[in-house]
Amino acid sequence: MEAWNLIIGNPVLNVLIALSHGLGGSFGLAIIALTIIVRLITWPLNKRQLNSTKALQEMQPKIQELQKKYGKNQQKLQQEMMKLYKEAGVNPLGCLWPMLVQFPIWIALYQAIMRALATTPENLLDLAQRLYSWGIVNQAIPLSSQFLGLDLGQTASANGGLGMLLAIIVGGTMWVQQKMTQAPAVDPRQESTSRMMTLMMPVMFGLLTFSFAAGLGLYWATSNIIGIITQYFITGGWGNLKFQSPFQRASAKGK
Amino acid sequence: MKQPKILFFVIIALLPLVLVSCSLLGGAPVSGGWAGTALHDGIIYVGTRDGRVVAINASTQSEQWDYTITPVTTIYTTPVVDGDLVYVGTYSGKVLALNTTARSQNLSFPQKRYGEWEWDCPKENLKSNAIVADMAMSEDALYVASSNGRVYSLDKGTGDENWNGKDIPVLAEKLWTSPVIQGDALYVSTLGGNISALSLETGHLLDWSFKSQAGFASRPVTYGNTILLGSFDRYLQAIEIGSDVPVWKFPQEKPAGNWFWASPVVKEGVVYAGCLDGKLYAIEAETGEKLWEFDAGSPIISSPILMDNLLIIIGELGTLYVFDVDTEFEEEAVPLRAISIGASVKSSFCAQDGLVYVRGEDDSIYVADIERGEIVEGWPVSLTTEK
Repeated sequence: MEAWNLIIGNPVLNVLIALSHGLGGSFGLAIIALTIIVRLITWPLNKRQLNSTKALQEMQPKIQELQKKYGKNQQKLQQEMMKLYKEAGVNPLGCLWPMLVQFPIWIALYQAIMRALATTPENLLDLAQRLYSWGIVNQAIPLSSQFLGLDLGQTASANGGLGMLLAIIVGGTMWVQQKMTQAPAVDPRQESTSRMMTLMMPVMFGLLTFSFAAGLGLYWATSNIIGIITQYFITGGWGNLKFQSPFQRASAKGK
Repeated sequence: MKQPKILFFVIIALLPLVLVSCSLLGGAPVSGGWAGTALHDGIIYVGTRDGRVVAINASTQSEQWDYTITPVTTIYTTPVVDGDLVYVGTYSGKVLALNTTARSQNLSFPQKRYGEWEWDCPKENLKSNAIVADMAMSEDALYVASSNGRVYSLDKGTGDENWNGKDIPVLAEKLWTSPVIQGDALYVSTLGGNISALSLETGHLLDWSFKSQAGFASRPVTYGNTILLGSFDRYLQAIEIGSDVPVWKFPQEKPAGNWFWASPVVKEGVVYAGCLDGKLYAIEAETGEKLWEFDAGSPIISSPILMDNLLIIIGELGTLYVFDVDTEFEEEAVPLRAISIGASVKSSFCAQDGLVYVRGEDDSIYVADIERGEIVEGWPVSLTTEK
């Protein structure tokens, strides 16, 4: 626990407070700035993931061919597909790493938000033991939790209509991002799994936004928006997020 | 395609882990309360974490009465006692006047014939109305600082508000430090770094106010015409009422090791200030120069107290130190006594007749005998409901 605070918890907390002081005392802007910094730090991982996604999307015709050829022999199909991934230098689970890397950051950020805003007297006293001796940090205390009408220290549900809007934005942007990264389905079973993933994750994060401090929701929303923008420019478009008419869908199925 | 499925289930499995980690690794709001002890006519009064006000006979260690506030809440304020009435503020935004006779008989609350009353602090929008700061008391009024940013004057006998509600100014986003009475004015410091002066009579803002570069961590203490208080930039400031610049800041060179959270005490021109860096500083009140210091080894959260010529401090880890302030120390002070309480201490404490009454974080009351240099036999007395 002490090691966690020393290596991750306290640095994130102090950087967040210093950013807040540097941005005119706006804690919301500090969270957005920290999100951008986190995105920049994890950029090499994200870039790999995006390239991997792009490669997976481009490999779909070859995968379809393999399915036609080995459709009845699942074991052989898996072997051939793994061979194909290996030849193309693609790891289908590669996109898991940026997500895993972000987990400790989420935890540290959640703690930093709650600690920095010191919503209770105990939290304020606890903050004293975690701050560095930097003048910029000590002069920034106490931080205002208000940002665009939201109380960032309160849960989104306690923030009423604006909190609801934040949860919708988090869920919505996550759905868009998922759609953009999703490779086209090659069989109905895969399509149903993909559909479940693209629906479940945004719903889950929307619900999490409701039960966690709104500041964390702001981080997720900002992170998703940055993800959408970088995704657009790296993969060169909206990926699988295409608005097709029923006729187009029918003709696509007919093919 | 098994990979997307694996990915999906790994993420789903890890999310609860993140949630559990968030709560296990800390950061969630904690509001346990740290009400201190008040001693009056041989009875110790204290508020508990589970929302009870307990009266304990100091000589027999027996519980006189115990009142549970409903709905259950935590208590940060040290009870204020005046005659038969015990006043206590709660984290749920109430102030209660409890009569010792009525509570001893366990009558329903409030017993108006015994002068009991309850006051609900107004709540605005989503803002908390919690009462965290100790209340100030004058001859006929109680002054209550609320987390809604306002100060209220309550009639001690009835609980009625003395000031016109519309005229009460919002002084800060929240008020967690106790106001202090000086002459006809009430001085209030804010976490945002302001000191405001209010008229005791009307609650109107007086002409003078002070704005500091950093927020204030401790409640103000007056010494003559000077206000002493600690700020978040790790200085103790002396501010003359009427002036807009501090008379001095301590330390004079680089900041201290942490905040001056505890309010200082002053005696014969010397300020005694405990700091969260674990040190007690003796400072020349006129100039702000350091006379001596003492390292208590753990943060000093509770304000020091003076009993005649004895200065008493307690470190967070639970060691009580006694100093003779008449002794002239060089650089480092040497305590007369060091008594281990055996529990962490964050609350304010009181002393009388050579005995110090301390509430530990384990929800027990300890009594330290200064002369003998040890905890009095038979104590601690547990405040927990299980008892």
